[in-house]
Amino acid sequence: MNRLQIEELLYAVEKPARYIGNEIHSRIKNIEECKVRFGFAFPDVYEIGMSHLGMHILYNLLNEEDGIFCERIFAPWMDMEDLLRKKDIPIFTLESHSPIKDMDFIGFTLQYELSYTNIINILDLGKIPCKSSERNENDPIIIAGGPCSYNPEPLADIIDIFVLGEAEEVILELVEKYKLWKTQGKSKQDFLSNIASIQGIYIPAFYKTEYNSDNTIKCFYTVTESAPKIISKRIIKYLDKVFYPNKVIVPFIEIVHDRAMVEIFRGCTRGCRFCQAGMIYRPMRERTVDHVKQLAHDLIRSTGYEELSLASLSTSDYSNLESLVNHFIKQYGHEKIGLSLPSLRLDTFNLKLIEEIQKVRKTGLTFAPEAGTQRLRDVINKGITEENLISAVTDAFALGWSNIKLYFMIGLPTETAEDLDGIADLALKVIDAYYRTPKEQRTKGLNVTISASSFVPKPFTPFQWFEQNSLEEIIEKQRYLKKLLYHKNIKYNYHDAKTSILEGAFARGDRRLGEVLIKAWEKGCKFDGWGDYFNYEKWMEAFEEVGIDPGFYGARKRSYEENLPWDHIDIGISKKYLINENEKAKEGILTHDCRKNCTGCGINEGSLGGIC
Amino acid sequence: MYKIRTRFCKIDLIKFISHLDLIRMMERSLRRSNVPLAFSQGFNPHPKIAFATALSIGVSSEGEYMDIEITDQIDIEMFKEEMNKQLPNGLKLLKCIYVDEKSKSLMAVIDYSDYIVKCELEDGLSETDITNAVELFLHQENIFMSKVNYKRKNKISQEINIRPLIKSMEIVDVKAREIIIKMNVATGSKGNLKPEIVIERFAHIMNIPFILDKTRVHRLELYILNNDKLVTPMD
Repeated sequence: MNRLQIEELLYAVEKPARYIGNEIHSRIKNIEECKVRFGFAFPDVYEIGMSHLGMHILYNLLNEEDGIFCERIFAPWMDMEDLLRKKDIPIFTLESHSPIKDMDFIGFTLQYELSYTNIINILDLGKIPCKSSERNENDPIIIAGGPCSYNPEPLADIIDIFVLGEAEEVILELVEKYKLWKTQGKSKQDFLSNIASIQGIYIPAFYKTEYNSDNTIKCFYTVTESAPKIISKRIIKYLDKVFYPNKVIVPFIEIVHDRAMVEIFRGCTRGCRFCQAGMIYRPMRERTVDHVKQLAHDLIRSTGYEELSLASLSTSDYSNLESLVNHFIKQYGHEKIGLSLPSLRLDTFNLKLIEEIQKVRKTGLTFAPEAGTQRLRDVINKGITEENLISAVTDAFALGWSNIKLYFMIGLPTETAEDLDGIADLALKVIDAYYRTPKEQRTKGLNVTISASSFVPKPFTPFQWFEQNSLEEIIEKQRYLKKLLYHKNIKYNYHDAKTSILEGAFARGDRRLGEVLIKAWEKGCKFDGWGDYFNYEKWMEAFEEVGIDPGFYGARKRSYEENLPWDHIDIGISKKYLINENEKAKEGILTHDCRKNCTGCGINEGSLGGIC
Repeated sequence: MYKIRTRFCKIDLIKFISHLDLIRMMERSLRRSNVPLAFSQGFNPHPKIAFATALSIGVSSEGEYMDIEITDQIDIEMFKEEMNKQLPNGLKLLKCIYVDEKSKSLMAVIDYSDYIVKCELEDGLSETDITNAVELFLHQENIFMSKVNYKRKNKISQEINIRPLIKSMEIVDVKAREIIIKMNVATGSKGNLKPEIVIERFAHIMNIPFILDKTRVHRLELYILNNDKLVTPMD
């Protein structure tokens, strides 16, 4: 076994426990007995990667199989990277401290576009060529999945295989084919052709793009016979039957989401027009109450976590939330095991329920009105009213809450100054509601946090044709809001506008961005999602040198007729539905929750066959 | 209410987790072991566990102590066995006893620690030279180190005499480029001295060519001063 000696490095880095592995429920297997070694790579630091539920699911799913050893790979922090480069030590897996080049597969999860340079950096630290075409038969096969892979094109030169959709089944199909192939002594090319027809598998090297003189896409076609013209995502039909871990790794260091997580449903029926997750994860499928209870029990007992989170895109939409919450409080409250319910909606918000939860552990309250006026909230189909918000916070203040966090977006389609004023109005009305609460009921020290991110149009949403605000527009709007929100009880948070511009270009970019990405990395770009390390000037240099205008992908309005870089991917939602939704948005017409009545997005029709 | 006192070790790679990490890890191991924990009051209840003293990141030990308050009396050997199943590699309970629930906190009673320190040398040094150096070093009445304190916003540099905090120091082994030193220094709320500082001062004052960032520290035991005699928290 090729175990690297890393102990001496650990004395010289910040948070050395990021690199030691050996946590409770991490797996060590005998490498000689494993036919397939799989490196699950999260292109960010340990604390972020370990908070990602998908990694825990796939890590345990793969390690349940005999003959497969799945290990973890994270981006090393700068200090560790410097040491590795200085001492010429390759980046290693956490479990066996093996060089990542020893893996058969390295699977990257693509959670946000600004992590792409870290993928190149990890490969480089592992002494693996970053371009697919430059890797040889002995290099690991590089695969990728996760939400950003629904527009895989900017990474087409780097990734060998994309896995589209829910991976629990297809990952094992892939590994089975690989085991067989390994015994045959054939070429990597042969393996790739062999798997190209599996639903959910996309091999970018088997496709070519031609462009028009205005740089839009002329055509996209296959160059390998076995590769399908349209690649459909994978859907797990029944959540109660699919694998879910009953034990997960318990980290030593504090991570971002340091708690046990049970996923209560996938998909969302609300149809918010800005939300990519709400489209790509359709159809909505719930886990049954009994299954959730069982998983929660197993996870609490096996991890010793003091907090359980019920994860989903919109937790208050779970059909049986109340009985579930009451069960958990009765069952685990006396052990001081807290419950966290992220993603609560204002209109279905049940404060009595939250009050029960907070008897165990008290936290702040967070809501997402997303936009400042009713008009704009209708445009984005959020369907939340001012009354919803004010009545929720009024109740909350009377029950002793004094920390309220509100999420908004700026730069949404059709936005005007009035909508920005609306954000400030809402904030002031929340403050009013606090001061109208009798003194003896409310808790001292009101804090209203207003978080306003800049809207980035994403593929497979009704706003996928929309022109993103320019850098100047975003900055101007942020300044405007800053003035309006100057108040002793308000804290105003906003993102660096420059990162939104870059995110916008990569979210809807095409294959030509691969070159920009590599160039930016060569110039030293990495950890672009970390404000302090993001270097916009270097990125712009990279765009310039390659001869690409980032605004072509972000700030340009696209027509419905234009070929989009992700048109060959089928997520089960029809383009017709998205166009229709976009048109309704312009009119400010709401589309109702599709749980009440099918709104015809297409997920339950056609080859994908999702069951709503 | 009952109080269990445990002695445990923290060795191998787990020496790289911080004291806060250790506390969290112990809490979760206790929960996994189904121990009837007593909790603090308030908005964010925590199990009542208390440690003697924090170890720096990278320092290993075979003499760590932790007190745990529980609501029901449990079999102490079974407790130890179950906990050792739940603890990660490198952490192990070595001894567990019941102590009076009213007994003073570990942190308040600790006075001294024994450490083994491994030092690396740039150039070789004879055993006589190094032994003499230790003797001379300890012979001084005052050994000053400067400490920076912050009083409001003002930085105040203070000279502190650490000599009274060093109870003993001796050379255990001398190799070509490596010296093993054993020392007993003050630990706890009444006075606290890190062995790395002793080594740094020793190297500086006696002109010993130590490579300071290669200093490796291992704690052997914690002591309470009881009628001029050193006893462990278990005695």
